[in-house]
Order: sequence, then C-alpha cells, then structure tokens
Amino acid sequence: MATQVLQRETWRESLRSLKVATWLGWQIESNWTDPFLFAVYSLIKPIAGAMILVVMYLVVSGGQTGNPIFPYIYLGNAFYIYVGSVLMGISYAIIDDREHYGVLKYIYVSPIQVYFYLLGRGVARTLTGTIAVIITLAFGVVVFKLPVNFLAMNHALFWPVFLIGLVGLALIGILLAGVTLITARHNYFIGEAVAGALYLLCGAVFPLDVLPKFLQYIGLGLPMTYWLEGLRRAMLGTSASPLLAPFSNETILIILFSSTLLVGLISLSFYRWCERRAKEKGLIDMQTMY
Amino acid sequence: MSQMLAVKTENLGRVYQIKRKRGESGPTTLVALEGVNLEVRQGELFGLLGPNGAGKTTLIKILTTLLTPTSGRAFVDGIDVVENPQEVRRRINMVSGGETCGYGLLTVEENLWMFTQFYGLDFKTARERIQYMLEVVGLADRAKTKVYHLSTGMKQKMNFARGFLNDPQILFLDEPTLGLDVQTSRILRDFVKRWVRERPGKTILLTTHYMVEADELCDRVAIIDQGRILACDTPANLKKRLQGASVFKLQTTPLDTLEHFKQLPGVTQFAGHRRNGHTELNFILEDENALVKVLDAVQAKGGHLLSLEKREPTLEDVFIHLVGRGLSDEESPPERIL
Amino acid sequence: MKNFQRELAVFVRTVMGRAYPRLIGLQRERSWLFFEIFLPLLGTAAFVYIYRALGAKPEFTGFVVLGGAMTAYWMNVLWSMATQFYWEKETGNLALYLIAPTSRMAILLGMALGGMISTTVRALAVLILGSLVFRVTFTVSDWGSLGLVFFLTLVALYGMGMMFASAFLLYGREAWHMANLLQEPVFLLSGFYFPIKSLGFWISAVASLIPITLGLDAMRQILYPQAGWGFLDVRIETLTLAILSVVFLIAAHRMLLWLENIARREGRLTVRGQ
Repeated sequence: MATQVLQRETWRESLRSLKVATWLGWQIESNWTDPFLFAVYSLIKPIAGAMILVVMYLVVSGGQTGNPIFPYIYLGNAFYIYVGSVLMGISYAIIDDREHYGVLKYIYVSPIQVYFYLLGRGVARTLTGTIAVIITLAFGVVVFKLPVNFLAMNHALFWPVFLIGLVGLALIGILLAGVTLITARHNYFIGEAVAGALYLLCGAVFPLDVLPKFLQYIGLGLPMTYWLEGLRRAMLGTSASPLLAPFSNETILIILFSSTLLVGLISLSFYRWCERRAKEKGLIDMQTMY
Repeated sequence: MSQMLAVKTENLGRVYQIKRKRGESGPTTLVALEGVNLEVRQGELFGLLGPNGAGKTTLIKILTTLLTPTSGRAFVDGIDVVENPQEVRRRINMVSGGETCGYGLLTVEENLWMFTQFYGLDFKTARERIQYMLEVVGLADRAKTKVYHLSTGMKQKMNFARGFLNDPQILFLDEPTLGLDVQTSRILRDFVKRWVRERPGKTILLTTHYMVEADELCDRVAIIDQGRILACDTPANLKKRLQGASVFKLQTTPLDTLEHFKQLPGVTQFAGHRRNGHTELNFILEDENALVKVLDAVQAKGGHLLSLEKREPTLEDVFIHLVGRGLSDEESPPERIL
Repeated sequence: MKNFQRELAVFVRTVMGRAYPRLIGLQRERSWLFFEIFLPLLGTAAFVYIYRALGAKPEFTGFVVLGGAMTAYWMNVLWSMATQFYWEKETGNLALYLIAPTSRMAILLGMALGGMISTTVRALAVLILGSLVFRVTFTVSDWGSLGLVFFLTLVALYGMGMMFASAFLLYGREAWHMANLLQEPVFLLSGFYFPIKSLGFWISAVASLIPITLGLDAMRQILYPQAGWGFLDVRIETLTLAILSVVFLIAAHRMLLWLENIARREGRLTVRGQ
C-alpha cells in the first residue's frame, strides 16, 4: 500500500516536473522578442544551415540536383537539426539554471523528478527545432524539388522511427547534462559540439560507407544512424547507403529501439553518477564564469 | 562653493518608462526621483536613509554614471556626471550590498587584483592594498580560496574590500552590510568611520535602511521616500524635531483594526504592524497625557497590553513623523489584515 | 603627454587584468581541452567526408580544414567576446566595469586575448591533425602575405566583435539570440566550407564585409595558388581587410560610447533578465 502511494506520488511529481519545466523552457525560448522577429529568426537560421550543404553540393556537381545523393544529404541535414536542438536544449538547461539564474540549487531542494525536469526543459528547443525542420523541408521541396510527398510517404515506418529517435536524443541530452553538472560553464556548447561530432559518425549527410572501417563500426553502434536511415526510407522509399541497404525496415526499427534502450540505461546511470559527484563536491551551485 | 562639495544635485529627477503589453492597464511611468537637491561636503560621511524602493539606489546609479537623470543635474567632485563621466569614474568607487559579483573560478586575491588593474594600480600598490583590505574584512586566510567556495557573506566582504582598493575620493556604499552577520557589520562600520576620519577630504555616501547604521556612522543624514528628500540634517538635529514629543512603543495582543488610533487626540504620528502573535504600535504623541486615550482605545477593541516602552526618538521615529509609516513597513497600510 | 601615458598605462593594465581570468580559468578546469580539440576535429571531418562522398577535388579537403580552423576564431568572437557583456550584465560585473575609469575596448580586448589560447589551440588542432589525418598538403606561396592576411583578418574580426558587444550594453537576450542567428548565415556567406566565388559576384561582394570571408579566400589562394577558386586578387583582399580593420575598430569605439549613453539614459545598463 505504502509502495503504491509512493509510486503514485512519484508519478505526480514526474508529471508536475515535466509540465513546469516545459512551460519554463518555452518562456525562456520564446519571450525574448516580438513575434515578427521570432518568425524571421526561425526562418533564416534553418535555411542558412541547409544552404551550406546545398552550396557545397552544387559547387561539386556543377549545379545538378538530380543525383539521388542530393535528397539523401538534404533530408539528413534537415532532420539533424533536432540533434543540435535537443542535445543543446537539455544540456544547456543545467548551465542556465546554475550560473545564469542561480536556481539549480532550489530546483534540487524541491521534490521534482530531475529527469522529467530536464526533458521538459528540452521540449521548447524540440518545438523550435520542429519549426526549423518543417521550414527546411518545405524549402527543399519548393526550391530544389525534393522528391518527397508527405502524404504518400510510409507513415507506418516514419512515426515510430521519428518518435523513438527523439526519445533517444533526449536521453543523450541527459547524459550531456550530467557532464555539464560537473564541469565549468566553458562547456556550455557541449550539446552543439557533440552534435557536430556525431554529424561525422551517423551518416547524416553522407553514407557511412565513405568513412574508414573503424568509424563505420562506431556509426553502426549509434541509434541516430538508424533513426536517419529509417526517416529517409520512409520519405524517399529507398536507401542510398550500401552498408545499411541489407537491413529491412523492421530490422532498422528493432535496432533503433534496442540501441535507444541501451543508450537510455547508460545515460540515466551516468547522470546519477554525475549528480552524486556534484553533491559530494558541492558543485550544484558553483559559479564558473571567467 | 561647488568645489568644496563632494556631491551636489540640482533638482535631480529620474522617471522610468514602463512598457505595457497591448490591453494591459496601469501606469506607464515610474517616478524614481523627483526634485532632489542634495549637497554633500568633502570629508563627510553622509547617509541616505529610506525604505525599499525610496530611490536610494537610483540616486547612487546616477552619481556613479550608470544612469542619466531625466531632469536636473548632478555633480561629483564638481564634475557633471553626464557631461564628463570618465573624469567622475577616476574619483569614485561603489559597493552594492547583496551583490555577489566576481568570477567563481578565480581566488579572492585574483578577483580583487583584476579590478585594481581597471584603475591602473601598479602591482606593488595593488598587492599591498589587497592584503590590507583582506585583513580588514577578515578574509586574509581565504585569499587563495576560489570565490565559488565562499559563503554569501564572504563574497560580500570581498565586494566591500574591492570598493576601497583604488582609494577613491568619493565612495558610494549602497547598503554595504546587507546580508552580513552582526559582528562583521560592526567591523565594517568601524572601518568605514576610521577610513573617513583618517583621510581628510575623502567622502562616503552611504545608503541604508538600517537606521542604527545611519545614526551611528553619519555626520548628516538625508531621509528619502518615494523619490523625494524629506529632510537633511545631522542625526541629532533630526531627532530634536521630536524633542517636545513623546515616543512610545506598545505591544498588545492581536488587534483586528488599527485605523482608529490615528484619529485619537494627541496622536501626532502612528505606525503599527502585526508580529508573531502580537501587534506592535509605535506612537509619537504631543505629550504623555495622550497615552491614556491610547490605552483606552486598546482596551475598547478588546486588546490587552503586553508591554509599554517610552524611549528617546530615533531616526525611525523621525521617519515615521515625516512619512507616516516605518522604515520596514510594506507599501500597503499596516492595518490591512490579510 | 602625461595624460596620454597615464591613459595608455590604464589601457594596458585593463587588458592584462581582464585577460587574466580567462587564462587562469582555462588552467583550473581543463575539460575544455577535450571539447575544444577533439569534437571540433570530428565536426570538420564530417565536411571533409561530405566532399569525398560527392567526389570533389583534393583541394576541397584543404578548404574545409582551413575553414574548420578559422571557425574557432569566429566562435570566439561571437561567444567569448561579443556576447560576454550579456553575461557580465547578468552576473553584476558589468556595472563595476563601467564605473571604472577605463576603456570598454580594453576590457573587450582583454577578454579576446585571454580567450586566444583556447581558440588557437582549437584552430591549430584542427589544422595540424586535420592535415595529418586527411593528408592535406598546403603549398605556401608567400609566408609574409599569409601572416599579414591572418593578422588583418583577426583584427577586423575582433573589431566587428566589439561592435556586436556594444549591443549588449543596451539589449539582453534579444541581442544574444541575434548573435545566435548570425552563426549559420556567416558560415554560409563567409564560405567556411566552400569557396566564396561559388555564391556569385554580388553575394560574395556583400559577404566580404565579414572579415573572415576575404581572410579565408585570401589564405586559400596563398595555400592553393593553382586551384583557381579565388574571388578577388590577394592584394585587393589584403587591402580591403586592412580598411575593414580600421573601420570596424573606429566603429566599435563609437558604438560602445553611443550605445552606452543610450543604455544609461534608458536605465538598461544594470537591468538583468531582459
């Protein structure tokens, strides 16, 4: 009975933590300017990001976008926006709360469920990331005639892959949040830095086959590799990666799910360890600006 | 005349614009200072006494060139703060209470050294002054401690030490003992007094809402409320204003309403507020005879007297006399019971 | 003359004083070594492999490695200098800087120089390791020109950064987000990962206002004299960078004064959480 009550209380706290953190994250992300400027910001950033790769491609291809590698690059780059947004959104929340607003200690003395709090803080960046992804995809379809039909794509594959992938990203974000909990604020960009590094390893904008063998193996161990592959297959109907082509859609989904589960276990355990270390060393309210 | 003055303000005013969202009602301006005329002589330890939100910090910000006035003028050491701020900065420093500025990863000594460089101090002078000030504030044994390991009070001590490092002509102390324990506050107050006495020509402008601090330290005190200077004189002269009056402090069992006390004959000023399980009433009476009526009024409202104290007027009584409420009272009338 | 000497002494001491926390902070917490060396290298490598997947010519790998190295300076200007006044304001240090009788540019220069170690470590790591791993060979046609272009690029870039920094005297998070907004467009328009000539003349000309654009282009031309991807002649680009250096430093000085005055008038110098 007491266990049941405790479980119910924990769930209530979890939902409350998630709700408040989501609201807080949105307040921080969205109320810094008027809606027009916010719209301009939301439009320019993703399109500029997409255009870097487009120009790189056009320089080499001499202006041709008919090569099947182009939609591979474009789609991968578009969805990869989520990686930076989610990882940064969750990991940066620790630095923001600790060093900027000085409230992390108060959060830790309150009965919140910290994982749900961090997830909630990441929701706002995920939402702004979604806007950026939609804009990027729309830009690609309209300007570069990307062969994507949102209505006719494989929804049965797309949505499970998409959602599991987002959960995986959130869990990696929690792992990075653990790192920021025990390091100085000069690692405020850790989310973006790690996203930049993973850009290399998960076949975001080029097939894994291009990489040296040892990097291919690392790539094959990352959930994002299967996430992006699954999304491409759902939207384009084909795989442009000879390394991943032998895997069926179901296999991609299973590997994505299992690797996400594993990453989740590692992330949550690591965060707990970082938390313990932070409490032992008195780092929860440290100030590290210089 | 203005050259003998460390600080002079002429009809100084500061109005803030308040941005409201569409459809949101309320005032669009906030008058932080209005018609402030102040003269602080060189060598004075001058106090600015007032409750929270009175305009003390706004005045300090104008005098330290962080804010421009919307009307009037201000001079520090004879220099216009708007026309020539850089020249003003060479002569001043500021300590704000409750601030925890500094860099967490640096030691106390390193933080202080960094600020000495902004004033162009050579290494030897900087080191000597840092060592001296750390001794004064009791942080000598923490010189090599990283700031993020310090308690809030220690950070404030470090901040206090920083204010004296460039040996300023005029030092602005904005509630410098906020958040410090009694013993430390006493040590710092003693140092402030000594610093001014030992350095003829050096001036301190101190803002506080602790009337004990103002009473103990200041040569002269200006009382400020809602952006206006209400009085400016030595603490003794200010208290003399109430010389003929009788000042009483009563503690009673909790009373529902307090409004009627103001209307009692012989009551010049009154301030009351609820404390833990009792009501505290402060009266300034024309003479002692009015006390009887006060006691009758307490009884009539069903209250019982717990204690009665006659005392010498304090600066807070002067404040109540001028404003009609205490230094620590909230904006809302004390008799409003929630 | 005495006044000038005194001002110069204060300027130099301020630069040293403000650089010191940066130098010491890096020593005291060294996790940045991993995040500033290893991860940026992986990020740069991604762009190398993009070109390899597309079958680009070998010099494009060199373009990417150089661009990846220069990214370090752009990020330092944007995040460790331009937006730094925002953090100083939020932590209450800005007011203490502003009441000190010293130049705002000295404070910013101190921040920039203090951060130069980690920035240069990152840039060198990407350049050296990137060249080794991807077997990039540079043929330096003129070391003097290369050094001059690099120096002028940094001066102009940091001058531009000081201009951005002045915005934070008046604004808060809005300016921070604007700085964030600049990241990708500058990566695009400056040609960090591709030759700027491919954007066409007029876009390249406008983009040349960003010092890194011409700096990168000139350095690429010096390192790959036969590649044929240069936008303008190296001498014209060097001269333009010199002009931009002077213009941006003067503009920075003016903007710092102007915006500080506006912020003092509006009471926003010490407002936190804007």
